[in-house]
Amino acid sequence: MSFAIMYFISSAFADTHMSFWERISPPKDISVNGHLIDYLFHYTTFFNIVFFLLVCAGLFGFSYLYAKKRHPIAYYTHGNKKIHVIVATLIGAFVFFAIDLNITRMSSNDFSKIFANFPKKDEDVIKVEVLAQQWMWTFRYAGADQVFNTDDDVITTNDLRLPTGKKVVLELLSKDVIHSLFLPNVRQKVDAMPGRISKMWFELTTPGNYEIACAEMCGTHHYKMASKFKVYSPEDFQRWLATANQMALAENDLANADYFWGWQWEE
Amino acid sequence: MATFEQHIHPAPTTFLSKYIFSFDHKVIAKQFLWYGIFFLAVGGMMALMIRWTLAFPGEAFPIIGTMLFPDTHGVIPPDTYAMLFTMHGTIMIFYAITPILIGAFGNFCIPLMIGARDMVFPTLNMLSFWFAVLSAIILMSSLFTPLGAAAGGWTSYPTLSTVIGSPGVGQTLWALAIFVVGISSTLGAINYITTIIVLRAPGMGYFDMPLTVWGLWLTAILNAIFLPVLAAGVLLLIFDRVFGTTFFLAGAAATSGSGDPVLFQHVFWIFGHPEVYILILPAWGIVSDLLSFFARKPAFGMKATALSMTTITILSTLVYGHHMFTTQMSPLLTQSFMTLTMTISIPSAIFFANWLGTIWKGSIRFTSPMLFSLGVVFVFGLGGLTGLYLGTVTTDLYLHDTYFVVGHFHYTMAASVLLGGFGAIYFWMPKMFGVMMNECLAKVHFWLTMIGLNGIFMGMMIVGYAGMHRRIYNPFVYEYLQKLIPINTFITYSAILMGLSQFIFLYNFIHALLKGEKASDNPWEVGTLEWTIPSPAPHYNFKEIPVVKCGPHEFGNPNLKNGRDYQYQTEQLVEG
Ligand SMILES: [Cu+2]
Ligand SMILES: [Cu+2]
Repeated sequence: MSFAIMYFISSAFADTHMSFWERISPPKDISVNGHLIDYLFHYTTFFNIVFFLLVCAGLFGFSYLYAKKRHPIAYYTHGNKKIHVIVATLIGAFVFFAIDLNITRMSSNDFSKIFANFPKKDEDVIKVEVLAQQWMWTFRYAGADQVFNTDDDVITTNDLRLPTGKKVVLELLSKDVIHSLFLPNVRQKVDAMPGRISKMWFELTTPGNYEIACAEMCGTHHYKMASKFKVYSPEDFQRWLATANQMALAENDLANADYFWGWQWEE
Repeated sequence: MATFEQHIHPAPTTFLSKYIFSFDHKVIAKQFLWYGIFFLAVGGMMALMIRWTLAFPGEAFPIIGTMLFPDTHGVIPPDTYAMLFTMHGTIMIFYAITPILIGAFGNFCIPLMIGARDMVFPTLNMLSFWFAVLSAIILMSSLFTPLGAAAGGWTSYPTLSTVIGSPGVGQTLWALAIFVVGISSTLGAINYITTIIVLRAPGMGYFDMPLTVWGLWLTAILNAIFLPVLAAGVLLLIFDRVFGTTFFLAGAAATSGSGDPVLFQHVFWIFGHPEVYILILPAWGIVSDLLSFFARKPAFGMKATALSMTTITILSTLVYGHHMFTTQMSPLLTQSFMTLTMTISIPSAIFFANWLGTIWKGSIRFTSPMLFSLGVVFVFGLGGLTGLYLGTVTTDLYLHDTYFVVGHFHYTMAASVLLGGFGAIYFWMPKMFGVMMNECLAKVHFWLTMIGLNGIFMGMMIVGYAGMHRRIYNPFVYEYLQKLIPINTFITYSAILMGLSQFIFLYNFIHALLKGEKASDNPWEVGTLEWTIPSPAPHYNFKEIPVVKCGPHEFGNPNLKNGRDYQYQTEQLVEG
């Protein structure tokens, strides 16, 4: 039996140079705040392992020590003596105060101070409108006039390009069913829904080519609703945006009513 | 106390009244058991097809593939894949776990363990089963409609589940089937609640009930309250689909008026979170009892365990928002749901401690029901702890809708409930059918299942943490997921191992029914009421309604002088 399992495991992992650890790690964090999520994950994992080891110690330890052949006569107790109640309550309280409340406090802090704390109105940020539909992502940059839904907007399909070093705010809407914009490298996702605008903000650190996925089941080709995600240095981004702006002015098909799917930026 | 006169009715004589339209809770229990095992096999087969696709995209499903998918030479196409995981979830929850744990063991155990001759409403009980059958027929017939069965996930979020995303009639039939199965469960729930309140044997207080009955009772209460909520939700969905209303349509999709797709998520999860506990509470109850029975020691802190389960039941109604963090509720609401979710760990930790307290200093007999119960402690420990990451909003921003979630809820709902259900089958087999199952095969079944399911669900959590999201036909269109091919293959091998090992169970079960060793009245030496009557239980259950004089877990009392280490509940507690 165990031989068969070893065979499966080794055959499954034999063909590579990647360490097992690398293989099971999340994709590279390229955001300023992604490490908060990673940290909380590891923090929780640490306590979970400690606690689960305690459970296992009890489970396997007692199973060994108190098997019938080693311990023929059970100790008669209903576990309602004062000491028993105190111990059980202490365990409950320990788990709650030492683990849960800690995690809740940290997460709550991160959430209200960072992830749900959107840049103020007058802050200089990169703004992008995201339209989700079966099965593609369309991104809209306001262009030189800084106003959305005008002639000079830069529009890309399945290709989000952003700079490092500056806060980015995305506003999302869906044309048909619910989708979810998932940026594994930023450790965040948010649903794109019909009829209501949702938002996400982050700041990037590392230029490169990454991927975006749709995380919410949205129909047969949900699995293919991917987008490229290119992160530039600030200079490269400006260069690209300027060129794209020129091209947009020349090529945007304003006669097409579908072109004006954008909306007034919601502060 | 029980003011009902419970008559002994003559045994039914015709085939129809005895086996088909039976009012007898034990027969209905067996009907639910067959029904549940059948759908467990169907749902399991679907799981294997899903796993096959994820490990070997583009390869034909072995053996039956070319028969089922002739157009693609045996390869599962993407639209069928979506149907498979939708139906897998729906079937496992409403047509496999619910009938086995609640339908079969609820029906079988409640009257026998509280000393009643039958349920309080036998007709409702029968209707409950036949509504379930009707629902199953509706659901299965949807597979043969032109555009196939529902394919929007078992959660069926609008607007994907409205005509915009799912034009086929399959999705309407899905909603109808859920509505009907809701009627079935609600009828059963009303029956269970009432039966436990009015038909407990004289002398049996609530804390003299076995914890199995406690679990089933709390489950029934949640069912009675929350299945109507789901039913209301799917009814509105049917209206949107059939009559052109716009309860769940918004934005460009709504032609007139404006509803809100997120409203459905609220309705769904108000039901959906308690549903997790609806499924797990019977298993918790059963495991709490079995641990005590085979540790030959009273259940540790029995009252605390019962009250913890009750607390969890109440809290479970207040936390559903943790399923909707990514819909961007107000931050205050988000933080409230997170904090409330965390409080569940207090009662959970207490009854976990009590489980370990029960086997502490016991004299453990490692029978098959005991192995399965210990297995539940292990897998539920993992399932419960991994829930922390998902109740915490920031880690959930990353993990939501990934395979981490899939692994987590399979540990709690699938692994724990399945192991608990198997433990229950091995344990009550003698009282149900009057035969014993083979212990050796049962233990092999346990270990293979245990290895298989941990390989599967641990693997799922790992690929989920690595970023693989849910419900995708081919993860490897993403470059960043390509490194996960070997782990996905490993998960699939584990699933095949687990699937194959169920044949051991099936063989054991059928062999026992056909020519199993006859069971004695009390083969496990346990003192609850069902073991005071012959095996299999006669149709009237108790010749005399028993009078209860002590608790359900009286083991190892040093004052016992009659050579037994346990007391029947009908016996006065021996004191020193
Ligand atoms: Cu999508
Ligand atoms: Cu929940």
